[in-house]
Amino acid sequence: MKKVFKNEKETLAFAEKFAKTFRGGEVVALIGELGAGKTVFARGIALGLGIKERVQSPTFLLMKIYNVRPSTGSGHKIKNLVHVDAYRLNDAAGLVDIGFLEWFGRPDTVTVIEWADKVEKLLRGKKVIKIKMELGKKEEERIIEVISK
Amino acid sequence: MKILGIETSCDETSAAVVESNGRNFVVQSNVVSSQIKIHAKYGGVVPEVAARIHVEAILPVLEKALGPGGMEKIDAIAVAAGPGLITSLLVGNETAKILSWFLKKPLVAINHMEAHIYANWLINKKINFPALCLVVSGGHTELVLMSGHGKYKVIGETRDDAAGECFDKTAKILGLSYPGGPAIAAEAARLKIKDLRFKIELPRPMINTPDFDFSFSGLKTAVLYAARDLKNKFKMEEIIPAMAHEIQEAIVDVLITKTMRAAKKYKVKTVMLAGGVSANKRLRERFAAAMEKELPGADWNIPDFQFCTDNAAMVAAAGYFHAAKKDFTPWQKLKVDPNWEL
Repeated sequence: MKKVFKNEKETLAFAEKFAKTFRGGEVVALIGELGAGKTVFARGIALGLGIKERVQSPTFLLMKIYNVRPSTGSGHKIKNLVHVDAYRLNDAAGLVDIGFLEWFGRPDTVTVIEWADKVEKLLRGKKVIKIKMELGKKEEERIIEVISK
Repeated sequence: MKILGIETSCDETSAAVVESNGRNFVVQSNVVSSQIKIHAKYGGVVPEVAARIHVEAILPVLEKALGPGGMEKIDAIAVAAGPGLITSLLVGNETAKILSWFLKKPLVAINHMEAHIYANWLINKKINFPALCLVVSGGHTELVLMSGHGKYKVIGETRDDAAGECFDKTAKILGLSYPGGPAIAAEAARLKIKDLRFKIELPRPMINTPDFDFSFSGLKTAVLYAARDLKNKFKMEEIIPAMAHEIQEAIVDVLITKTMRAAKKYKVKTVMLAGGVSANKRLRERFAAAMEKELPGADWNIPDFQFCTDNAAMVAAAGYFHAAKKDFTPWQKLKVDPNWEL
């Protein structure tokens, strides 16, 4: 699926709706240049999972963990959202060192990785939802492609 | 009371000895060993390398800060236990645990952002409450209201990128070095006369919203588009000083406007700056000018340059107020928290 989104609000709404289909264990790999909207997409996923806390850019701390409280009738057992940003990292080893494997692919956890192309080695052969984000022609426009494996 | 401060949250290994009676703070030593240059060589952060460098630096830094026989003379140990990079935090915290056990000195766990705020106490100007502090760094942008020592309320914060991160990322777009703050400031200072061939106008995101939140992600995107358009018509080096100037003005405009508005609303007696970005000269000038003009009845404070970026003296200053209340953490219970919120 590849689609053009007119503005940030549309990107956010799409990610939110997308996350509502999650059941736990999903790994979302976000790929796109600076300003492509990766953090916006991650925020949409958090909204879709019902997280009330503010989702800020994890660039500085590399990894942020949010609690998910599944509402009755949501049909999933997701307990954590792990929001990773590999922007400042060189390679996958850095993520392993800060304890990422404790969370990766856990059935009660959704993982969102910004700059996932930088830690590609870690994701190889794993079930990953790859999302490519590009800047559109107009300032707020974004082209988003979802590649599920 | 003499406090030993230890700081290893990020890129700096630091130890300091600060003596205080609660009114007056004397920084007896503040030793900082930075690894920023090493990370620049790798082109990014390598958590394992960061930890190794902290391990190598921590003992010499401690020895230098304490001096001969200094170890026995301290009354308490304060260590920054988060937020930060877990591999880096662990080095300072394990060291603090061992010292606490070995010297039988009580231990205080300090929030790194709280420590940044307490850099303001090292100037020895009386700070009256309620006080407001704009905390700006690479990972944080918050307006913190203090009703007393240790009493914090975050009344506003960034909804996406921190101000320091915005400096870093826009610097990257312009091809400037890391950290972006000093690089942007240096380029902005080169702008002597306005180049009339082009006009750069960047947005001031959320400057007029009634809340005290910030947003810098949109500014980053605006820079991306502006640079892309101008690059077709001009050489990059021609547009960089003007662009850097406008980026800095946009960030500072938003920070100052919201801080002044919050200070007036909460009728605070003192307004302070803190965090790495508070070393930015333009922010300091504009803050001082705005305070004198808009809030002549209130006091204001800016930490010395050496205490804006990460250092252990600020950890020790914050540690004093916890130690005075006997707010200690037994070494067996000390735990780092990379996501610790104020």
